[in-house]
Amino acid sequence: MSVTEEPGKPRNLRERLNVLQDRIYDRLFHNYVWQSIFRSGYPNTPRNQMLVVATNVFLHLHPTRIHRTHVKITHTYCLGGLTFFMFLVLTITGVLLMFYYVPSVDRAYQDIAALETNVKFGLLMRNLHRWTAHAMVILVFLHMMRVFYTGAYKPPREFNWVVGVVLLVLTLVLSFTGYLLPWDQLALWAVTVGHGIGGSAPYLGDETQIVVFGGFEIGQPALIRFYTLHVIALPLLAAIMMAVHFWRIRRDGGMARPL
Amino acid sequence: MAVQAQRQASAAPARPRPKRSREEEVLVWPDLVFVEFISAVLFTITFTILSVFINAPLLNRANLNVTPNPSKAPWYFGNLQELLLHMDKAWGGVLLPTIFLGFLAAIPFIDRSRHMQGVWFGTKYSARITIITVIYATVVIFGLVSFDAGEATGTERLTRWIPACAESAEDVSWPCLRDDVGAEHLGIVSTKDISKRLEFEVLGVKWPEDLDHIAWPFNDSIGDFDLGGIGLGSIHGWGGEHFNIPSIMAEQVIPLTLTIVVFPGLIIYTLFRIGWVRTRRDVLIVMFTGAVMAFVTLTLVAAFFRGQGQDLIWPWKIKVDEG
Ligand code: HEM
Repeated sequence: MSVTEEPGKPRNLRERLNVLQDRIYDRLFHNYVWQSIFRSGYPNTPRNQMLVVATNVFLHLHPTRIHRTHVKITHTYCLGGLTFFMFLVLTITGVLLMFYYVPSVDRAYQDIAALETNVKFGLLMRNLHRWTAHAMVILVFLHMMRVFYTGAYKPPREFNWVVGVVLLVLTLVLSFTGYLLPWDQLALWAVTVGHGIGGSAPYLGDETQIVVFGGFEIGQPALIRFYTLHVIALPLLAAIMMAVHFWRIRRDGGMARPL
Repeated sequence: MAVQAQRQASAAPARPRPKRSREEEVLVWPDLVFVEFISAVLFTITFTILSVFINAPLLNRANLNVTPNPSKAPWYFGNLQELLLHMDKAWGGVLLPTIFLGFLAAIPFIDRSRHMQGVWFGTKYSARITIITVIYATVVIFGLVSFDAGEATGTERLTRWIPACAESAEDVSWPCLRDDVGAEHLGIVSTKDISKRLEFEVLGVKWPEDLDHIAWPFNDSIGDFDLGGIGLGSIHGWGGEHFNIPSIMAEQVIPLTLTIVVFPGLIIYTLFRIGWVRTRRDVLIVMFTGAVMAFVTLTLVAAFFRGQGQDLIWPWKIKVDEG
C-alpha cells in the first residue's frame, strides 16, 4: 500500500458502499431542485441552526435561542403547542370532510353516513376530526391552567392572557358549531339545549335565537349558519387570534420566567 | 419631541428584559424543534390508533318530533345545562358564565405584581391552597347539587324537622312546609321549595302569597312601561311589571350569593386567617381554582350523574330513552 495511491479508488466492499452512499446523498440533496427549496444542508453548526429557524417561514414563529427552563417538558407540557397542533390536524381533516358534506337538512345525515361506509378512510377522517376536537377543548383548558399556575399572565403578558381567553371561547364555539353538522339526534338535541340557553339571555334572548340559530327551532337556517361559522368564519378568526397570540409571546420577551 | 416625551410619560414604565447569559440558553434548533416534532408525532400516532378503534357516534337522523330523554348539551356545555337546574335560567345560562369569562380576562389586571412569574406555584403556600381549594370546591359543588336533589339524595331529611303546614292554612305564622295533599311530609327538597312550599307570616305579611306579585315601583311614573319589553320579562320571577319576591330569592339571590359570595368568601377568609393566603396572587389562586373546579365538577355531574328528566342518579343507572 503506497502513499501515492490515487485517492477515491475504493479498495473493498465497505469503501464501495461508502462511495455509493455519498453518491445517493449527493443525488438527493445536492441537486438543483432540492437546493432551490432548501438553500443549505442539514444545519449542523450553531450559526446555521439559528439561521434556519430565523429564515424558515414555519420555524420563524420561534426565536432562535430560548431559555433553558422553557424546553423542560414540565414547564409547559407542550400544552399550547399541542392545542395549536390539534387545530392544524382539525383543519386538514376538516377540509377532507368538506369534500363529502353538503350542509342541507336533506343531505347532511346521508352524507355523513355515506362518508363512513363508501369513502376510503372517510370513517377514519371523521373519527380523527371528532377526537382531536374533544382533545383541543381539553388541551386549551389545561394550557390555561398551566399559564395560570406558572403566573405567566403577569406583566407584561396581560394582553396575551386576554387574547388567550378569546381563543378559549373560540375553541368552545368552534366545537359547538361542529356538533350540529352530522344532523343526527345527538347533534339536534344537544344544539337544542344550547338554543334554550341562548334564549334565556336577558334582553337579547329572542334576538340570540334568531341571529345565531336562525329561528325558534333548529332547522335549515341553523344548519347553514353553524356550517358557515364552523368552516370559515371561526377558524379564520381563531387563526388570526393565534397569530396575535404567538406574535405577542415574542414581543413580550419570550415566555415568562422569574425576573 | 414633546409628543414623544408625553408618550413616554403615559406609557407603562419601561420593562428592561432580564439579561441572560449564553450558558442559560439553548438553540431552538434542535432543542425545541425536536421536542415539538416528537410530541406532534406521538399525538398523531395516538389519535390515529384511537380513531381506528373508536368510532365517532352517529345516531338516527335528526327528528324534531322525537325527543331523546335525557337530551344533553355537548359535555363542555354540560356545566351550563347543570346550572340551569339550580337557578334562574338567565343567570345560570348566560350571566354567570359571562361573569366567569370576565373574571378570567380580569385576572392579570387584578394581580399586577411581577413577582415569581414563570415558575410553577410561585408563592410560598400556593400549592397547598390550590389542593385545599380543589377539595373544597368539589365537596361544596357536589353538596349543593345533592341538596338541590333532596329526594334522590335524602338531604331533605336534614330539614324534615320543619313542620308540615296544616291543611286549612289559617295560621301559618310559624314557618312550615306545604306537602302535596295526602303525601308524606318532606323537608326542603330543592331551593325552589323556598318560594313554593315554604310558608310563614311576619307582621301580617304572608310568604309567599303576599309577596309574589309586588308591582314594579315605577309603574305609575313611567306609565305603561312593560319590563317584558326590555327583556327582563325573560328573567324568571320578574313576571311582567311585577316582582315575584319569593321566586327571586329562591332562584336568584340565594343561589348567587351562595356561589359567588358565601362559599368563596368562606374559604378565602379561613385561609387568610390561617395565614396561607397572603397576597392578591393567593386570593386569585383560590378564586381561579374554585371556579375551575366548580366548572369541572358541574361538567362531571351533567355528563355522568343526570338521567331521564335530568334526575340525579348513578352513572351506571343512566338509560337513554331515544324517544
Ligand atoms: C387555541 C388556543 C390557544 C393556543 C393555540 C395557544 C398557544 C400557545 C402557545 C404555543 C404558547 C407557548 C407556550 C406553551 O406552549 O405553553 C402559548 C403561551 C401562552 N398562552 Fe396560549 N394558546 C391558546 C389559548 C390560551 C388561553 C386560553 C390562554 C389564557 C387564558 C392563553 C394564554 C397564554 C399566555 C399568557 C402565554 C405565555 C406563557 C408564558 O409566557 O409562559 N393561551 N399559547
